[in-house]
Amino acid sequence: MKSDAEPGRFVFPAWTNLIRPALAIVLVTLPAYLVALVWLGGSPKTTDVGYRPEQPVPFSHALHAGQLGMDCRYCHTTVERAAFAAIPPTQTCMNCHKQVRANSPRLLTVRESYASGLPIPWVKVHDLPDYAYFNHSAHLRAGVGCASCHGRVDTMEVVQQVHTLSMGWCLDCHRNPDPHLRPPELVTVMDWVAPGDPAEHGRRLREAAGINPSVDCWTCHR
Amino acid sequence: MIALLKDVPRWLIYAALVATALALVPLALIARARVVTSSEPRVHLIHDMDHQPKFKAQAENPLFADGRAMRPHPRGVVPAGSAGAEEGFATGRRGGIWLASLPVPVTAELLRRGEERYNIYCSPCHGLAGYGDGPIAVRADALQEGTWTPPSSLHTELVRSRPDGHLYNTIANGIRNMPAYGPQLPVADRWAIVAHVRVLQFSQGATMDDVPVELRGQLAR
Ligand code: HEC
Ligand code: HEC
Ligand code: HEC
Ligand code: HEC
Ligand code: HEC
Ligand code: HEC
Repeated sequence: MKSDAEPGRFVFPAWTNLIRPALAIVLVTLPAYLVALVWLGGSPKTTDVGYRPEQPVPFSHALHAGQLGMDCRYCHTTVERAAFAAIPPTQTCMNCHKQVRANSPRLLTVRESYASGLPIPWVKVHDLPDYAYFNHSAHLRAGVGCASCHGRVDTMEVVQQVHTLSMGWCLDCHRNPDPHLRPPELVTVMDWVAPGDPAEHGRRLREAAGINPSVDCWTCHR
Repeated sequence: MIALLKDVPRWLIYAALVATALALVPLALIARARVVTSSEPRVHLIHDMDHQPKFKAQAENPLFADGRAMRPHPRGVVPAGSAGAEEGFATGRRGGIWLASLPVPVTAELLRRGEERYNIYCSPCHGLAGYGDGPIAVRADALQEGTWTPPSSLHTELVRSRPDGHLYNTIANGIRNMPAYGPQLPVADRWAIVAHVRVLQFSQGATMDDVPVELRGQLAR
């Protein structure tokens, strides 16, 4: 690079004039980039959805609830009367597995648990923070189906989380529950679709039953 | 201005290109995290009060040898409200004799409840109509399980002649190879199911004389 300035004196080459527009571009895109990174990366759609822990027994909902057509409440017995949807005790599995596939190696853990009385260490999939209080019975009585919140469990080999369970997700439905409502006796029917427009069908159910989900903070935080 | 670009040192251009490419990596990772499943729980950067020192239902508690925070009932304990006012409500037996009829009033509500509960807890084995042809029985037959006892048909003379209290006891404590459904069913629901079993038996043994006259035309077709 030759310059016509005095020898010994440094002169910025002409291309350095590009630094200013380049800097302008960086200053605009970098913050936008960082915001996008935190927004997308920190969103529960990225961090929470798709959580599918490995379970101690290769238990398949697709087989039991799907192919064999068992009702969710056969195992999750408390779901209609309590806040909590009980994970079945080993005794429930042994109702059948004392006789069906009684020697299967895939059921070894279940038989050991039955013999020892120690619980099977199932891994919790859906887990709200301890300061948020969810209640299954309130939702099932109002006619919100399992599928609205847990997805098509009856097609899952291993249960995974399909919705964010974030506060925004709860409130979206509490503000407008209509498209998610169905007759309360059909809550465990996984492939139920509303006859006609779900919002219109739900609106009639909501008005008939006087359903009015609360968005007050103390509904979910105590 | 564009002409100036070719004077920019090569390393600087490469550095800018590499930086841009690297900047896309986190976005690609995020996009990937949104479509694949993960067996790792989410990372709690800020714990807030997500994990409080309290025990929720079915949580783990290292203080007990079996690790259960919810303590199992001691032997012989009867949950409040399930003993009932009437003798035999919780046992199906009065003075050592099976109750011949339900200790609760039979209402349309009870029958509806009984049907729903029967379909949940009994139909997998006994079938919706009670012939012992539920999906589990069918599958077990297909698997040719030597250990499998076929569920009884509920329409045999024997089961028809059982007193209501005996049916109740079958549900609560099981019978021979049938498991007990007491742990899954509250007392009131067991009686509702007994009522529904009677409904099934009646409906499967019904004759034309049991059908109201004005509806017979529909059946004849
Ligand atoms: C044969 C018994 C059985 C039946 C029937 C059954 N489940 Fe489950 N369910 C389990 C067991 C055992 C677990 C714990 C292991 C696991 O997560 O797979 C479980 C876990 C779950 C979970 C995840 C719980 C968590 O840890 O967050 C959901 C959601 C669920 N079941 C929904 C359903 C729905 C909806 C149905 C009806 C379509 C159903 N289950 C039918 C036995 C059953
Ligand atoms: C109502 C009856 C019933 C109950 C209750 C039940 N299962 Fe099953 N399960 C079956 C049947 C029937 C099969 C066999 C299906 C087949 O292989 O075609 C099966 C198969 C399985 C298998 C696959 C076994 C193999 O060798 O392929 C596993 C694992 C299993 N069950 C786990 C469980 C667990 C864990 C529970 C308790 C939460 C449970 N089951 C409760 C009926 C039941
Ligand atoms: C309105 C949304 C919603 C509906 C409807 C719903 N669930 Fe849940 N479910 C949740 C949430 C949220 C959790 C996590 C609760 C927690 O961690 O405290 C959960 C947790 C569970 C669990 C794990 C145990 C527990 O209670 O934490 C099981 C099992 C379960 N649900 C089964 C079911 C079944 C079966 C149905 C239908 C009969 C159902 N759920 C309907 C939102 C729902
Ligand atoms: C798909 C719709 C839907 C979603 C999602 C949902 N809810 Fe609800 N929620 C309802 C409906 C409908 C009711 C019943 C309101 C009524 O009975 O008037 C209800 C009632 C409740 C109640 C009981 C209020 C009372 O009056 O006792 C609580 C607590 C609650 N929801 C918490 C939550 C939490 C926490 C979440 C998120 C994890 C959530 N809900 C997600 C629809 C929903
Ligand atoms: C329908 C139920 C519901 C209602 C109503 C509700 N929340 Fe929440 N809130 C939740 C749930 C669920 C979470 C946990 C979300 C998560 O998984 O991070 C939460 C989380 C929070 C958090 C913690 C956020 C964080 O990430 O640290 C705050 C603060 C909060 N809520 C405040 C409020 C206030 C203030 C109100 C009243 C305007 C309110 N909430 C009403 C369900 C609710
Ligand atoms: C896991 C499959 C299974 C389920 C679920 C089941 N049963 Fe059974 N049941 C059986 C079997 C097997 C027998 C035959 C037992 C034998 O002969 O050893 C039987 C027998 C019976 C009998 C005949 C008893 C007698 O007096 O000889 C009655 C009545 C009965 N069951 C009622 C019920 C009711 C009511 C339910 C629902 C709460 C139910 N069962 C659920 C498997 C089942």
